[in-house]
Amino acid sequence: MREITLRVSRYDPAEDAEPYFEEYTVRVNEGARVLHALHAVHDERDPTLAYRYCCGSGQCGSCAVQVDGTPVLACMEEARDGMTIEPLDLPVLKDLMVDIGPVMAKIARICPAPDAGLPTREEIEAIKPLRDCIECFCCVSTCPALLVTEFAGPTVLRQEMRLALDPRDTGDRISDAIEKGLFYCTTCKRCVEVCPKEIDVPGKAIEKLRELANRRGLTLPRHQEVARLVQETGRSVARTQPTFLEQVPEVIEPEGPVRGEVGFFVGCMFNGRVPQTALDAMEVMKRNGIRVIIPHDQVCCGSPLIRTGQTSFIDDLKQKNIEAFTSQGIETVMTICAGCGATLKNDYETPFVVKDVTEILTEYGIEPPAKLDVTATYHDPCHLLRGQGIREEPRALLARVVGEFVEMPAQCCGAGGGVRSGVPEEAKALGAMRDEAVKATGADVVVTVCPFCEFHIADCTDVPVKNLVTVLLEGYRKKDAEQKGGSA
Amino acid sequence: MLVNEIVDAHVLVIGSGGAGVRAAIEASRYGSVILASKTIVGKGGCTTMAEGGFNAVLRDQDSIEAHREDTLSGGAYLNDPALVDVLVREAPERLRDLVRWGAVFDVTDDQMVAQRPFGGQRFPRTCYAGDRTGHEIMMTLLDRLDATNTQLYNEVTVIDLVKDEDGAVAGAIALDREGEVILFRSDATVLATGGGTQIYDISTNSAAGTGDGFAMAYRAGAELIDMEMVQFHPTGAVYPYDARGRLVTEAVRGEGGILLNARREQFMKRYDPDRMELSTRDVVARAIATEVLEGRGTKHGGVYLDVTHLPAEQIETRLPVMLEQFLAFGVDIRREPMEVAPTAHHIMGGLRITPECRTTIPRLFACGEVAGGVHGANRLGGNALADTQVFGKRAGEFAGKSQERSGRIDEAWIETELKMLDDFFDGAISPAAVRKDLKLTMWNQAGIFRNSPDLATALTNVRRLADRRLFAASTANIPECCTVRNMCTTASLIIRCAQLRPENRGAHVRLDADTATWDPAKSPFGHTYISLVREGIERREVAA
Repeated sequence: MREITLRVSRYDPAEDAEPYFEEYTVRVNEGARVLHALHAVHDERDPTLAYRYCCGSGQCGSCAVQVDGTPVLACMEEARDGMTIEPLDLPVLKDLMVDIGPVMAKIARICPAPDAGLPTREEIEAIKPLRDCIECFCCVSTCPALLVTEFAGPTVLRQEMRLALDPRDTGDRISDAIEKGLFYCTTCKRCVEVCPKEIDVPGKAIEKLRELANRRGLTLPRHQEVARLVQETGRSVARTQPTFLEQVPEVIEPEGPVRGEVGFFVGCMFNGRVPQTALDAMEVMKRNGIRVIIPHDQVCCGSPLIRTGQTSFIDDLKQKNIEAFTSQGIETVMTICAGCGATLKNDYETPFVVKDVTEILTEYGIEPPAKLDVTATYHDPCHLLRGQGIREEPRALLARVVGEFVEMPAQCCGAGGGVRSGVPEEAKALGAMRDEAVKATGADVVVTVCPFCEFHIADCTDVPVKNLVTVLLEGYRKKDAEQKGGSA
Repeated sequence: MLVNEIVDAHVLVIGSGGAGVRAAIEASRYGSVILASKTIVGKGGCTTMAEGGFNAVLRDQDSIEAHREDTLSGGAYLNDPALVDVLVREAPERLRDLVRWGAVFDVTDDQMVAQRPFGGQRFPRTCYAGDRTGHEIMMTLLDRLDATNTQLYNEVTVIDLVKDEDGAVAGAIALDREGEVILFRSDATVLATGGGTQIYDISTNSAAGTGDGFAMAYRAGAELIDMEMVQFHPTGAVYPYDARGRLVTEAVRGEGGILLNARREQFMKRYDPDRMELSTRDVVARAIATEVLEGRGTKHGGVYLDVTHLPAEQIETRLPVMLEQFLAFGVDIRREPMEVAPTAHHIMGGLRITPECRTTIPRLFACGEVAGGVHGANRLGGNALADTQVFGKRAGEFAGKSQERSGRIDEAWIETELKMLDDFFDGAISPAAVRKDLKLTMWNQAGIFRNSPDLATALTNVRRLADRRLFAASTANIPECCTVRNMCTTASLIIRCAQLRPENRGAHVRLDADTATWDPAKSPFGHTYISLVREGIERREVAA
């Protein structure tokens, strides 16, 4: 047995104006789960504590709560000393019990044809990954789109796709999905991160439903424009200035001895909209002894098309890109765009290894830059944090170049999944939330590693937004200036 | 307390697991239906936790007769043969209902529902959806239920059945989440409250498995049979402490998992060399318990259940829930063995029913685990899900066909009942404390191996606990007091029936020296029975 202290949100609407925290110290067994700590509070401290539970083994979805701000199943999450337990972000009935009725009612029911037979094995296997949902509503509690739109919720859309895949069902799932907010999902994957069954709702439901919508001509007009642009130019961004590829040779040699070699997958944003950031990155690579090979025949990775369900010519793009790099014998491809990186890693089968710039720089180790006299915070790009599982590398690099680094809770900025172009008011509302979060940190600058996030957050806040590579370059320039000043 | 709300319906269904929801779906064809659920419908009960599968004869190589014989032989011939007939004949059609309604069962390449081997069966007849078969069935039933006019009452605790002046069941009294009283009035009532192995310290059951149906029916005067027949599932988790008893599905053995003691001996060779790991649950549970008692257990007091010889892909696709649950506790079952020990799982006994699910009280029907007689002295894995669907449908149908009831409800009785609820505010002991004591008593003195002195001690303890005055800290705590009271009643029914059966039969094993053991087909004993007015054990003619 061990003793732990936990803070529990208490609220009785009949008596309390608002929820408050109560602290309890209880004894629990080794390996106890959050649920057992709640049982201990209920059995030994306060029997009026209201909380739900039933199966106790992660199968019924009754006991979801937030532990330290993250939704979990109380019966599966290990109890920790000092944890804070709150209800899911849904209307609270009492203490930790929430009203799941309204969201449950949005989950579609199958309408089977009277004479439907058994689906085939392939059909069953396609449905299965979407069938594990235990309706715990962790995803609904934490989805950013729900904060600012009428989005029905990740698992509601999951069910639409589950039904769309079932030959027995007679409902019109595409129209339903659109009505339930199909185009509101930013594909940030926060829902996957908290799902006890790890159901990939964005990848296996949202993007697939958008594909089905596309086949019916229901893709949003702004998304169709992007697809047309990619088809005509190979790029999702129109040329308005000299592009990155127009400004660089095929090989950029480092300044000193060659410590490594990577191919560089530029991506449309860095190529056409913010080429200076990519040029900054090249300076950082030169400085650190890494040769960069830049095949000029590379094209859009296809991410804007996959996220919006426009996949008819995606295989051509994949083939062109893979050939562009393999023809030059490149073994490691570097991305700086989180979206391109996640796409190459998750949607491609590449004969080469794909790494984010922060992984490359961490692996080779960087020349120490001078410290900039600023306080910086870091915005986690969803497609880097969850799309590629990269959290520590950018933080460690950033900490080496700024005077002070302050954390900011991760949340989608609103730019992804075609939302910035397709549903601009949602992107703007989520961007405004980022502005508030940035301001709350008191940082002088917000640093990120994704051109979409960078571009979008810059639109939503008056705090300067910079790419990590630009900040590193500033650190080197400061170092050079100091050394020059010192030697003069 | 006063009745806050009165609701009328043709059929009242109590319980929202597989049997209750199936009954409601069927009953709704005949009139208005209320489904009263202690939890949120679909989340409670044990169906949603059932992992392994649903037994049904689907293929030409199998036969109804074989399923019947496996069920009777597995049940040590204590089953009611008429109920077994219904089970095996109707299971295939009930499975087809589910498929028609959208269930996502695993299928074979030739587009048939896939089946796997389970213990005690001569043919692989267990249909499955990975190892989340019960969840799949519940989700499908909820879809279907939604298409009916059934009125759902979520998180409502039924505390007692209500009878009318004719002695027929006329509905039930319930408490909602806040402790407000609801009176349900009905022409027929279906009891589908599931089992009650939460009365044991180590149990696979959901928190709702507290035996409320057995206790309420007993208080209302119904007769129950074979309550001593408690199935201890051979394989429950053994650590960490709070996860003890969590079900490790029989599908693990069905897929090829083997049992090893601490000396790494495949000990089933010594207990059932023919059927080995796929022997019946009573045999495997006793084998494991014996290994542990005789000092060949692991340090956590279990044995090993090993699937590391199976391809990782088979484990990932056929046993994903097991993989996920063990990973959560730091064990990767693809690389290391599980540790398991028996855990209280299923109550074979229950209300005496006819094949039409009629109980011994007029207008009260029962189905699913709360009913007795289908599984005899030991239930085969995969027969419980089939039971919920076959008898759920029947209970709904025959309750639905009931005539309108005209008798007056006994108002004075309701007043007494409500006054009893008020008494909880003046109680002296927390229900949690009584529950803890009860669970230990049952595990230690009325568990897998029984004897006369232990059973007597257990009964004394349980009666003492039942007499404690439970304390409700608020109206919302009254349901918990009622539940603990039901747990005490169910426990005493199990002990009393265990005392009535002077033989070893299926799951009921007594270590008293003079206990008879014989070929169960030739046992002179039939059902034990117990009610407010009589108790005993039936004798039967046995062919020489």
